[in-house]
Amino acid sequence: MLTDFSQPNRNHVDRRSVRRRRSARRETRSGSRLFATYAVASLLPVGALGLLLLSGTRDDATKQGQDQGKAQAAVIAEMAIAPALDDADLTRGVTAGQRDSLAKATDLALYHGSVLRMRLRNFNGQVIFSDDGSTSGGVPVGDPAFQSASNGTATATLVKDPEAPGGQIIRVLQPIFARASGEAIGVLELYLPYDKIAARLHEQMTVTYRRLGIGLGLLYLAMGLISWSTTRSLRRYAARQEHEALHDGLTGLPNREAFRQRASAAVADRRDGAGGAVVVVDLNRFKEVNDTLGHHAGDELLRVITARLRTALRTEDTAARLGGDEFALILPGLDTPDVRALLERVRAELTREMVLDGVPLTIEASFGVALYPAHGEDVEQLLRHADAAMYQGKRGAADIVVYAGERMAHPTQWLVVQAELRHALERDELVLYYQPKIRLADGAVCGVEALVRWQHPERGLLPPSEFLPAAEQSGLIEPLTTWVLRRALADQREWTAAGRDWTVSVNVSARNLESAEFCPLVVGLIEEFGVAPGRLTMEITETAAVVDVEIARQALRALSALGVGLSIDDFGTGYTSLARLRGVPLTELKIDRTFVDGVLADPENQAIVRSVVTLAHGLGCRVTAEGVETAEVAAWIAESGCDEAQGYLYSRPVPWTDVPMMEEVR
Amino acid sequence: MKALALSLVAVALVAGCGSPSSPAATAQAVDNSVPFDQALHDKLPPSVRNTGTLRFVTDASYPPMEQFAPDGRTIVGFEPDLADALGRVLGVKIQMVTGPFQTALDRVADGTYDGVLSAVTDTEEREKKTDFVDYFSAGTSIIVQRGNPSAIAELTNLCGHVVAAEQGTVQADLLHRSQSGCGDRPMQINQYKTNADALLQLRTGRAAAVLNDYPAASYLAEDSRTSNYYQLASGAQYEPGLFGIPVAKGNTQLRDALKGALDKVIASGQYADLLTRWGVSDGAVKNATVNGALTD
Repeated sequence: MLTDFSQPNRNHVDRRSVRRRRSARRETRSGSRLFATYAVASLLPVGALGLLLLSGTRDDATKQGQDQGKAQAAVIAEMAIAPALDDADLTRGVTAGQRDSLAKATDLALYHGSVLRMRLRNFNGQVIFSDDGSTSGGVPVGDPAFQSASNGTATATLVKDPEAPGGQIIRVLQPIFARASGEAIGVLELYLPYDKIAARLHEQMTVTYRRLGIGLGLLYLAMGLISWSTTRSLRRYAARQEHEALHDGLTGLPNREAFRQRASAAVADRRDGAGGAVVVVDLNRFKEVNDTLGHHAGDELLRVITARLRTALRTEDTAARLGGDEFALILPGLDTPDVRALLERVRAELTREMVLDGVPLTIEASFGVALYPAHGEDVEQLLRHADAAMYQGKRGAADIVVYAGERMAHPTQWLVVQAELRHALERDELVLYYQPKIRLADGAVCGVEALVRWQHPERGLLPPSEFLPAAEQSGLIEPLTTWVLRRALADQREWTAAGRDWTVSVNVSARNLESAEFCPLVVGLIEEFGVAPGRLTMEITETAAVVDVEIARQALRALSALGVGLSIDDFGTGYTSLARLRGVPLTELKIDRTFVDGVLADPENQAIVRSVVTLAHGLGCRVTAEGVETAEVAAWIAESGCDEAQGYLYSRPVPWTDVPMMEEVR
Repeated sequence: MKALALSLVAVALVAGCGSPSSPAATAQAVDNSVPFDQALHDKLPPSVRNTGTLRFVTDASYPPMEQFAPDGRTIVGFEPDLADALGRVLGVKIQMVTGPFQTALDRVADGTYDGVLSAVTDTEEREKKTDFVDYFSAGTSIIVQRGNPSAIAELTNLCGHVVAAEQGTVQADLLHRSQSGCGDRPMQINQYKTNADALLQLRTGRAAAVLNDYPAASYLAEDSRTSNYYQLASGAQYEPGLFGIPVAKGNTQLRDALKGALDKVIASGQYADLLTRWGVSDGAVKNATVNGALTD
C-alpha cells in the first residue's frame, strides 16, 4: 500500500510484496467483516418479508378455501334447496311434498359425499329438514355465524372432524332466498368435505412457496452483490484516502505526517540497540530553478531528486517530502561514519548534472543529521536538531553536518534571539571591543578590529557566535552592521583625538553587500564622522556564501573606489574560489587561525601560509595572520613575510581605551 | 333519516354562517321532515292508539315501490319510506308485512291488516271492498325482453303471445279486458303470485311480455342490474289511475287520519323528496284524495 521506492531490487520487491499482501489481507479481513455485517443485516428484512408473505399466503389460502365452500353452498341453496321449497313458510314447517322434493334434490349429493351433512332451519333455529331425519343438533341460534346467515350473509368455518379425511370439514351457514322476490325464508346449514379443497390449496401453496423462496433468494443475492460491491468500493476509497493522506501528490513520497509516523516507529523499533539517523535535506538552488525556469521545471526537478534519492538509498531507508524543497530521510541501523558515507553517496547522486527544459544544471544539497537515540528519541526534537545542523551547514561550507549538541544554535532559538537583539539595539546593550593588529615590521599597533559583544541582561556578555547567525538569518544584520559602523567610527574619532592613528576594521556580512543601501550608508557615515576612507576596512567573512555574486562584487568595487579598505577574513577555510578574488580590489587577506596555530610543527601549514603570503602580495594586498598566541609563532610569521599579526599574544578584544600600546608589550 | 337530519343540521350551520339574519327560515326550508301531529294521532281508532302500531301488507317484489333488501328480510322502497313518514306524523309505528297481493284487500276487509301499501290502483271495483286513501298516480306499461324479440309496441300486439302478470292486479284485469280485441288469436294470460314470478317468466322467455305499473316498469328498464334483460315496449301508459292505501270500510277514523297525515307529508315537501329519492317523481299528486278512482 505504501510504496516508497520503486527500485527494481529483488529483496526490496519481495519485502514490498509481502507488506502489500499482508495489508491486503488485513483489508480483506475488515472488508469481509463489513460484508458479513451487511449480509446478516439484509437477511433480517428479507426474512421478515418472507414470513409476512408466507403468513399472507396461508391466510389467503384459508380464506380461499372458505370462499369456495361458500360458493358451493350458494349454488346448492339456489339450485337444489330453494326450488324444492317452492312456496314454503318455514315457520310452519314443510309439507310432505316439499319434503320429498328436498330429499330428491339432495339425495345424490349426500349419497356420494359431495355434501356431508345438511340441515334446513327456520330463523328460530328449528330444524325443518335434515339429511338423516333428526331434528336436533346444529349450530346454536345465538352463534354469530347463525345470526349472520339470518341477516343475509353466508359464513363458512373450518371445523374439526376426526372421521373426515384430513380431519377438517367446512361448515357453511347460508341464507335461503326461496323466491324470485329475494325474500329470505330460512338458513341452510351445510357441511362440505374439505380434503379435496385442502389438497388443491396445498398444491398451490407449494408452488407459491417455491416461487417465494426463489424470489427472496434472488433478492437476497442481489442485495448481497450490491453490498459486496459497495463495501469493495468503500474499502478501495478508504485505502486511497489513507494513501493520499500520507503521501505527497507530486512525488509520491510519504508526506510530513507519514514521515512523523515512520520516524516514531523507527525510533521505537531500533532492535539490538543500533540507532539511526534522521536527516533533513534542503536543495540549495531550488528557488532559483523555480523562479527562472518556472514551476513546471521546479516540479520536474523535485521528481528527478525523488528518483535519485530512491536510487541512492537502501531499501530499509525512508525518504519523505516535508514540503517545498525540503526532504527528510530516515536511515535506520547506522552509526555516524556510516551515515556520512551513505549521505556522501546520496549527495553525489543528487549533485550529478541534470537537464531541465534543455538547461543543464547542478543542484547542491545541504544535509542536517540528527542521530537517535544520541540526539533524542522524540521525532520533533530530532527534526529540530537536524534542521539546526542543516542551517549550520548552509552557513558554513559543509554540506553534511551532524548535530553537535545544544551549542548549535537552531532556528527556534534564533527567533528568541532575534526578538531580544531588536530590543538590545534599542536599549544600547551592545558594546564594541577591539583587538589590535600589530605591524610586524616595527611591532606597533597599526589598527584594530571591531568585535561586537552583547551585554545580555540575563546571560551576561555574549560573543558574536551567539547572535550573529540569528541576525544574519533575518534583516537584523543591517541595523546591527549600521550600529557597529557608527560606533566604530565614533570610537575612532575619540582615539584619533587621543593621538592614536589606528585604522579600524569592521566585519561585514554577505547580506550587507547584497543590499543596495549599504554603499550609500558607508558614504554617509564617512562624511558624518569626517574620517579618511583609508582608515576604514571592511572585513568580509569568506565562509559566508555570497548568493548574488555580481551585486556583491559591484558593492565591493564601489567601496574600494571610495578608498575603503577591503579584507577577506578567515581566508583558507571557506570556499572563496580564486576566481572570485580576481577583479575585486582587495587590500588585505587574513590567514585563518587554524593554519597559524600549528604552523611551527606542521610543514603543510607552513607551506599554506607561505603560499598565501605569496598570493596576497601578488594580488597587491597585505597579509595578516590571525590567532597568534606565542612569540615563536609571531617570529615565524614575521619571517615568512606576513605584514601584520593579530592574537592573544598581543591582546584579547577589549574596550579601545584598554588596547595596549605595543611599546609596553615589548 | 338520521343521516339526513345530520346533513340538515350541517346545512343549517353553514347557512347560519353565510346569512345570520334568517337562520330559522333557512332551516325550515330544508328540513321538510314532518313533526308529530297530536290532533291527527287523536283521530286514530282507540285500538291503534293503544298498540301504537299499524300493520300494512305488501308484496315486496315491485321495485322501486317496494322490494327486499340484500338480506332477504328488510323491505325497502318508496312505499316503506312513505309509511315511515306517515307513522311519524301519526305517532305510531307502521309495520310492513309480506303477503300475497291477490288476497290483500280481503285481508284488510276482514281486519287481518290495517291497510295495504303495495302499489294498489284505486278502482271502482276495489272501492266496493275497501276505502282508498290515494297518494300516487301511474298508468300501466308493457315490459318486454331487451331487444323486443316479439316486436311488441302496443297492447294489441300482445295477441297470440304469452303474457304474464301478477294475480289480482289491474294489469291482469286490463289483459283480460283486452282479450276481446284479439279475436281468434287470443293472448295466453299467465298469472303469478308475485310480480317477481311474472318477470321470471319474461326473463326466461316463457312469456313475451309483462304488464307493470309505469314506475316499476321503467325502474326495471333502467336499473343496471336488470336493464340488460328488460325494456319498455313503448313510452305509453295505459289506463292511468291513482295508487291508494286500502282501509277497511267503516274504519273512517283511520282513513281520515291517514289522509290528514298524507296531506301533511305532501305539504311539508318530504313527499316530493321521497319521490325524487326513488326516481318516481312522475307519479306525484298534489294532495291526498279518498276514493279517487277514475270513472271510465
